[in-house]
Amino acid sequence: MATLPSGLDEIVAEDEDLARYLTSSSQFNALMVKPAAFLPSPKDHETSVFRHGSEPQDRLWAIGVEHAAGGRNLHGVAICKASHIRAAQLEVIAEEPPPRHAVIRGWPFSETDPKLQKAKQKELAAIIASNAELVRR
Amino acid sequence: MLKPLSTLEAGLVGYAALHVYAHGNSAISVEARSVRKAAHAVVESVERSQALFGEKSVAISQIATLANECAEAGWDGDEAAPINWMAADTAVQFIRVLPDNVPLPEFAPEPDGSISLDWIQSRHRLFSLSVGSSNRLAYAWLDGSDRGHGVSWFDGERIPPRVVAGILEIMNHGNIAIWS
Repeated sequence: MATLPSGLDEIVAEDEDLARYLTSSSQFNALMVKPAAFLPSPKDHETSVFRHGSEPQDRLWAIGVEHAAGGRNLHGVAICKASHIRAAQLEVIAEEPPPRHAVIRGWPFSETDPKLQKAKQKELAAIIASNAELVRR
Repeated sequence: MLKPLSTLEAGLVGYAALHVYAHGNSAISVEARSVRKAAHAVVESVERSQALFGEKSVAISQIATLANECAEAGWDGDEAAPINWMAADTAVQFIRVLPDNVPLPEFAPEPDGSISLDWIQSRHRLFSLSVGSSNRLAYAWLDGSDRGHGVSWFDGERIPPRVVAGILEIMNHGNIAIWS
């Protein structure tokens, strides 16, 4: 299997942890990460994640600050399994640089009915959110 | 002899006076007790309305805070669009016309500039609705192993019945059918 510059395998394994960094405290509550945190970018139709679990936390936050925050404060991170994302019929594809970066791809898109598209995306985002672990900073 | 106060008379008398009337303890006649009971009911109704209005004011304030926090492109550290001012305006109107028996939602920013209104009962039981720049609302729900999504029109004056039903089904975990 091919190896990426980060040293990780090219293929994201089913049991790999993926980190979605949260730049607003409104993206989660005491119970869970909210579905909106996983919705795709309107520009590239993908959701950016990093291949890292909840530990070690110092490296987790270092990755977030350097590559995900864009100068914003990080309030937390959602950790989810690649298997849960694939169970929602979405793809998880490694995409470096930056190191350990991956994307969630395959979100439903409809040029003819953007609202219906959005509703479908929300359903899938809710499924991912229901299985995600919240790590607060 | 005391007579029951009409709602209009109660309004004219003023809330403070009505409060005194409702909680006065000097009258002992059947009629007086009846009037006091009626006044007490009016006072309770007013206070309940004020409490709800206060809660809605807090919710509207939260929308404004969110819109301000996410007012710049890239608020997510990536390519998120700023919160759309029309989305914020529609969200406020949604809250204003939300029926009193429906819990108020939580709010979250979405990367396309919409605002997500979330009713979260548990990790696997939630109703999430997006308010954007149009009058069509996209929503989705999880209810245990059941899930779905839909789109409804919002005219600014009345929450779509199927949206209300969906929220109450999730939050009450009752027997109201969700129309998919």
